[in-house]
Amino acid sequence: MRPENYQAVSLPSSNEYEIFIGPNHPGIEGNYAFKLRLDGDVVISGKADAGYLHRGFEKLMEGRLWIQNLAIVPRICVPDPVPMEVVYSLSVEAISDMEVPERGQWIRVMQLELSRVAAHLFTFGGHAATTGMYTPMFWGVADRDLALDLFEELTGGRVYHIYNIPGGVRRDIPAGFLDRLENYLDYLESRQNDYDNLLFTNQIFVKRARGIGVINKEQALEWGVTGPNLRACGLAFDVRRDDPYLIYDKLDFDIPIIDEGDALARILVRRDELFQSVRILRQIIKHLPSVKGPVRSPIPNPLAWNVPAGESYSRVESSKGELAYYTVSDGGPKPYRVHVRGPSSMHAVQVLENLAVGARIEDVAQIMFSLDACPPEVDR
Amino acid sequence: MNCDEINIWLDTLLEEINEIKVTRKSERRVRVDVDASSLPALLELLKGKASYVHLSAISCVDWPDDEEFELVYHCWSYEAKSLLSAHTRIPRNTCEEFAHYVSIYDIYKPAGFFERDIYEMYGIYFESSPFMEKFILTEWNGPPPMRKDFDAEAYVNETFNWAEYNPDWLQEITEEGGGIEIRPEDVRL
Repeated sequence: MRPENYQAVSLPSSNEYEIFIGPNHPGIEGNYAFKLRLDGDVVISGKADAGYLHRGFEKLMEGRLWIQNLAIVPRICVPDPVPMEVVYSLSVEAISDMEVPERGQWIRVMQLELSRVAAHLFTFGGHAATTGMYTPMFWGVADRDLALDLFEELTGGRVYHIYNIPGGVRRDIPAGFLDRLENYLDYLESRQNDYDNLLFTNQIFVKRARGIGVINKEQALEWGVTGPNLRACGLAFDVRRDDPYLIYDKLDFDIPIIDEGDALARILVRRDELFQSVRILRQIIKHLPSVKGPVRSPIPNPLAWNVPAGESYSRVESSKGELAYYTVSDGGPKPYRVHVRGPSSMHAVQVLENLAVGARIEDVAQIMFSLDACPPEVDR
Repeated sequence: MNCDEINIWLDTLLEEINEIKVTRKSERRVRVDVDASSLPALLELLKGKASYVHLSAISCVDWPDDEEFELVYHCWSYEAKSLLSAHTRIPRNTCEEFAHYVSIYDIYKPAGFFERDIYEMYGIYFESSPFMEKFILTEWNGPPPMRKDFDAEAYVNETFNWAEYNPDWLQEITEEGGGIEIRPEDVRL
């Protein structure tokens, strides 16, 4: 809501009061407001308020060519843009029955996992900052920057890569890239101890995060929780394993689960997942040189490309959870309809509203960040 | 119950519902076309009896030529590891009045978000949903913007004034042969 349209309401005198968190605050990765009703410092009810980032992506995409939309999709989630490009490409490939060469698939998975590492590092920092610990934030952002350097070398862009296209990826990896990637993974593993001491086993943080924003298994299934938040409730579901895409069925990785379902469990699941991603990346470094062939299959003239009529529901596991695109083509040069189902459309709205009830006001920002919501996925 | 048993059970279940067409698109994707009156009953059975507990999304597609909206309910079963997309069509009304359909919030809680989204973007009123209010487009008074008959470019031209933007620094660059030249035929939204 624009400030000039806000009208103060006078209520009968009571202990209750209303407070706005946001739209600019460190509790969430973007502009998003949360309206709280409080009694003392205990939240009575919370109401999510979206719309600050609404740019009409879905409508824009209906007016652009299939290939032009690749420049739009990564903007839907800034901290983790690669899954957006990949899932859009996957849906176009599914409609037009296109095969991705194996080398292209391996490079795609490499980017997806590197992007997951970068997104999780960002989340650690942000989550710690909501509890007043700023060092993990600087460390997380600094280590994420090294991943962005690798992305810059690979794709030319640090945040918006636009490197995946329907049929594969734009170009092969540069010479010596895998060595530099390996150096980065070695560096990350050498940092594991520091991170554990600073954050994950630090009693200042652990005591602050334990028991905050608890979701039990039944609630998680009822509210449509996915991704690391679901795995922090003790339910091992991962799109990469249960609905595999690309070459994930050839990779060896574990799905970390923790039963508690609180903010601490959610951050620990992400920590374990980060090192599972490192494990996947090491397998890719080992196998990629032996996978020969092109990195993409030929596509028709992209400016006069009529994707055949059809529809597809493609899903990937982003760092936030289950990300899906429902894409419809009427056989024309532009998509007829693209529906973006971001994981945060559940986490940042209904789950957050339910978890806030009964929480203390100082924990609300932590609950918001522990769900790792990305508001543009709500607004689209 | 293992995966095979669920799938066999599901097949017998689907045969019992009227006006239903089932297409298995791939190993983990099932498409079901169902009449609008049977859809809530189908979803109730899917969730209660066939382990489809996760509503992944509800998508809406506008088909103005057929005078219809298509609603697609994507449900995922954690046990059978299969995604069922239930397609249904409801009649489309003009922008001034809402199309109507029944909410499935009592079956799937995540439906509340998606139904509110469709209500704002397409103007379909879901009866008995507790969330039928503005959420993203709180200050929007125009017609539902995702409908195919809403022309964003025409709306912008009517609502806003185009401003000339030609500052000195850009003129200098253009004179030197650089800058961005926008030809009249290229002007578009």
